[in-house]
Amino acid sequence: MLQFKLVLLGDSSVGKSSIVHRFVKDSFDEFRESTIGAAFLSQTIKIEDKGSQQEVVIKFEIWDTAGQERYKSLAPMYYRNANAALVVYDVTQQDSLAKAQGWVNELKTKVGEDDLVICLVGNKLDLCTEEGESSSKPKAVESSDAEGYANEQGLLFHEVSAKTGEGVKQVFQSIGEKLYEFKKHELANSKGRQGAGGDTVNVQLQRPSTNDATSCCG
Amino acid sequence: MDLDESYVDDRRERANEPLYIPPIAAEPTTSINLAQTLFQPSEFDESLEDQLAQSISSCDRRHPLVSTEIPNVFPHRYDKNFLILTSAGKPIYAMKDGDGTIAYMGVIHTIMNYFKLKEDQDLRCIENGDVRFAFLDREPIVLVAYSARGETSNELFSQLDFLHSYLLSSLSERQLSKIFSKRQNFDLRNFLESTDFENLDEICSLLCERLYPDALLGALRSLSMKKSHRAQLHEAMSQQLTKEKDLPRGTLLYGLIVAPENKLCSVLRPKGHTLHTTDLHLLFCLIFHRFQNLDDSQELWVPICFPKFNANGFLYGYIKFLPKCNSILVLISAQKDAFFNLKSFADHLIKDISSNGLLEEIHKAKGFKISDIPAPLVHHFIYKSKKHVQYVMPELELHSDTEPEQLIELERKFMTYYQQIHNSVVRDDGLAFNKSCLNFIRWDSDAIEPSEEPIAMLGLGWITPKFELYLICNNGVDDKHVIFESAKRIISWCRKHESRLFVNEGAIF
Repeated sequence: MLQFKLVLLGDSSVGKSSIVHRFVKDSFDEFRESTIGAAFLSQTIKIEDKGSQQEVVIKFEIWDTAGQERYKSLAPMYYRNANAALVVYDVTQQDSLAKAQGWVNELKTKVGEDDLVICLVGNKLDLCTEEGESSSKPKAVESSDAEGYANEQGLLFHEVSAKTGEGVKQVFQSIGEKLYEFKKHELANSKGRQGAGGDTVNVQLQRPSTNDATSCCG
Repeated sequence: MDLDESYVDDRRERANEPLYIPPIAAEPTTSINLAQTLFQPSEFDESLEDQLAQSISSCDRRHPLVSTEIPNVFPHRYDKNFLILTSAGKPIYAMKDGDGTIAYMGVIHTIMNYFKLKEDQDLRCIENGDVRFAFLDREPIVLVAYSARGETSNELFSQLDFLHSYLLSSLSERQLSKIFSKRQNFDLRNFLESTDFENLDEICSLLCERLYPDALLGALRSLSMKKSHRAQLHEAMSQQLTKEKDLPRGTLLYGLIVAPENKLCSVLRPKGHTLHTTDLHLLFCLIFHRFQNLDDSQELWVPICFPKFNANGFLYGYIKFLPKCNSILVLISAQKDAFFNLKSFADHLIKDISSNGLLEEIHKAKGFKISDIPAPLVHHFIYKSKKHVQYVMPELELHSDTEPEQLIELERKFMTYYQQIHNSVVRDDGLAFNKSCLNFIRWDSDAIEPSEEPIAMLGLGWITPKFELYLICNNGVDDKHVIFESAKRIISWCRKHESRLFVNEGAIF
């Protein structure tokens, strides 16, 4: 089994926790409360090795962070050592895309890893497709604009609805596949070194140093 | 059991009378005029009256005048509010945000500053008829309460302190003073998040609308469970700590298992150190308000400042919903990157306590009922053990069809009775009149509608160096001797079951 760390970033109330819950529990809660701090969850998926046609199990360890400005300074703790980042915006809120782009820039400058997979995700697609209904909102972010930006930056791009579940699985599937491509090479090397027993690669979070001026009574 | 506590009957004169008791309530008193309050003398001769009194105290038969329906003698009024503003007079929060609230804040700011400049002292309290205003100046934050419910000044101050503590727990003193040192007229509303306002609403509702004696008594509610099960839990916690040799010193400061309704189940703590009750109240409020829809698939890592522990720094809480028992495990660390250390500790601990069925035992611990104790005519009580800084009370017995609004109504009614009983044995500054103090308090009223029962409610407050007991009798009870005997039985029952009712030392390392 392969294990990858994934972090969700984005403005508050764009639906990060809802996306994770759709993915992990396949459920949706209309009145979810804002996340305080960060939540840690895990979920496994299966992908197919295109070469050997074999099934590969991938386990995601997910940090669902709070979008509130207050917790922004804690974010590096979660994205440091991440293998993948889901940067989420709300398709009905133009501002939230700008915030998402801010996160992309931060990831690109702060996380040196070339193989960090970043996926730009537009959420709340359901609000724009319920035509004629009172809850319907105009789409503020055109798919082509966001997709253009994603291509430019070399990001994966998806539009989803955590409420209906549309597109959520595909996000994690595509991230899993991309990560697997990256790691396949490494995996082959480690197998070579360790013989047949090297099936498991734990991509563990490195524990950062504990010298932290902001923590009290150290 | 030795109950030779000296006690006094408090017959204080209250200078500012009907401030705290609605007109239908009588002064705290130990002498009750039965004929006047319960029966019409013209209709009952004395022997009949004696017989009736006898039947009440013997409790063999249900007497129509003794009822387990507790009447509400406190008319519901929109009679209380909390306001929070900055020292520069900018509004931050109001519990009830009416049209004029913001204008009030300007007036309050002016009045407070007038006192500061003119009298060179802080304004603390204003009383006007039934209404009492309390002011708490915690530069750069000012908190104001007004209430017509008869709280002592001290109670209002401690409620304001609780709200202030919440702001600190979210922002920390350091951050707060940093913000205001740059700009005195900063609008803190822009800095607070929606979650902060929701949490403030929740705390205000707990303080004003619910049966939440935690703040009034400065104590935690404990979960009653078998002594041996609690001991096993603590043993498991201690053992896990011994096993986790890799856990660097100071990584785990404090561990708690908290059952629903903010009941403390078990504690893991360093020797000679306990967290302040207010800090734990804040933590429990946060847990059960914010994390109600938490499920066991997620673990949380939450920065929180414990203002009474260290108002300038943040601690970090690992919070995990325990499967099978609706309870929550909290592990507190001073290090912001200790999540995975604590997670591994928690994983092992949970595996351990679920393998020997302790999670089910926590779930099964259902508290006790008033009928479990041989205390005739007592409807409900709160018993606080001072040594443990914890209290217990019987579960509210609700009909299965109780609506949420009815529950709130019931809780508010109970809480108001307890507040008044409590306030009858403490001075305005919150200290008891005497080391030991016992007082009966009575509320009387004729039935308003012919179909209703007349109100004759009796309460007892009893404070000693070891315990505090507050009890409410069934409506119509007036035999103080029976009640006193019942009170003694409650106390002896609570002492006998002390190790079941309270979390004693906890697991200490």
